[in-house]
Amino acid sequence: MHPQLELLLELQDLKTQRRSLAEDGLSQVESAVFELRPSEALEILDGKIEELADRLDAPVRARFAEVSQSEGRAVAPVLNGICYGCFVAVPTAWSSEVGRNERINICDHCGRFLYYVD
Amino acid sequence: MQQMQLRDFFSEDAIKLDLEAETKDEALKELVGLLGLDEKSQAILFKMLKRRENLGSTGIGRRIAIPHCRSLVVNRLRVAFGRKPGGLDFDAIDKKPVQNIFLIVAPPLEVSNQYLPVLGKIAQFGKESDIPERLAAIETPEEFLALLEEKGV
Repeated sequence: MHPQLELLLELQDLKTQRRSLAEDGLSQVESAVFELRPSEALEILDGKIEELADRLDAPVRARFAEVSQSEGRAVAPVLNGICYGCFVAVPTAWSSEVGRNERINICDHCGRFLYYVD
Repeated sequence: MQQMQLRDFFSEDAIKLDLEAETKDEALKELVGLLGLDEKSQAILFKMLKRRENLGSTGIGRRIAIPHCRSLVVNRLRVAFGRKPGGLDFDAIDKKPVQNIFLIVAPPLEVSNQYLPVLGKIAQFGKESDIPERLAAIETPEEFLALLEEKGV
C-alpha cells in the first residue's frame, strides 16, 4: 500500500471515530458502558488527527483538507467498482489493476481519495 | 421485520476459545487475525483498536472486554470472540483480568447501521449475571453460538 494512502486511511478512520463520538448514540454507549469521558476523548483525538495530518505530503494534505471541507469524507472505499463517496463507477481498468492501492487514486467524479477494499 | 440476533453475526471460524495471547496487544492482534483480512489491513485495524483503547479501556468488568472501532479496511460489520481461560491484563474498569473478548469492527458507513445495536447487545449480554461462568464452561464454538441463541440477544 502507498504509505501516503495508509496515512490517509488512518486519518479518515480517526475522523470517523471523532464524528461517531460526537454523536449522541455512540457517545451515550461509550459513557454508560465503557465509562469514557467523550469530551476528553475528543481532545485526544483532535491531537492525534493533527499529528497524522502533519505527516501527509503538502499536496495530499491540501487535497485532504479541501475535500473534507466540501464533501465531509475525503477518503472513500471502492466496492464492486463503485466509489462509495459519490456512488459513481470508477474506471474498470483501475479496479482490476494489481497493486491498485500502491498508488494514490482519486475519484474523477467527487475528487475523493480512493481505497480499494478486497 | 425479523429482529436482529447476535448469533447471525458470528461465524465459527471467528470464535477462538483458547487464545494464545499473553498480553492485551497480542489478544487484539489474534482477534483481528480471525477476520481473514490481508496483512496491511490487519495492521491498520490493530492501530485503530489501540487508539480506541488509549482513550479508555474497553474492558467493561466481570472478565469481559469489547474492543471496537469503525475502519475503512472492512466492507461490512465483522465480529469475533476470543477466550483466554487464564485471563489477561486489559486495564479493565474493575482492574481484574479479562477472559472473554468480543471484537466489533464496522465500515464508516453501513446501509443497515448495525454497529451501535450490536455493540449495545454485546454489552447487554455481558452484563447478565451468569454470563462469565457460562462462557467459562463452553467447550466448542457451537456451544458459544447456542448460548447467544439461548439468551435471545
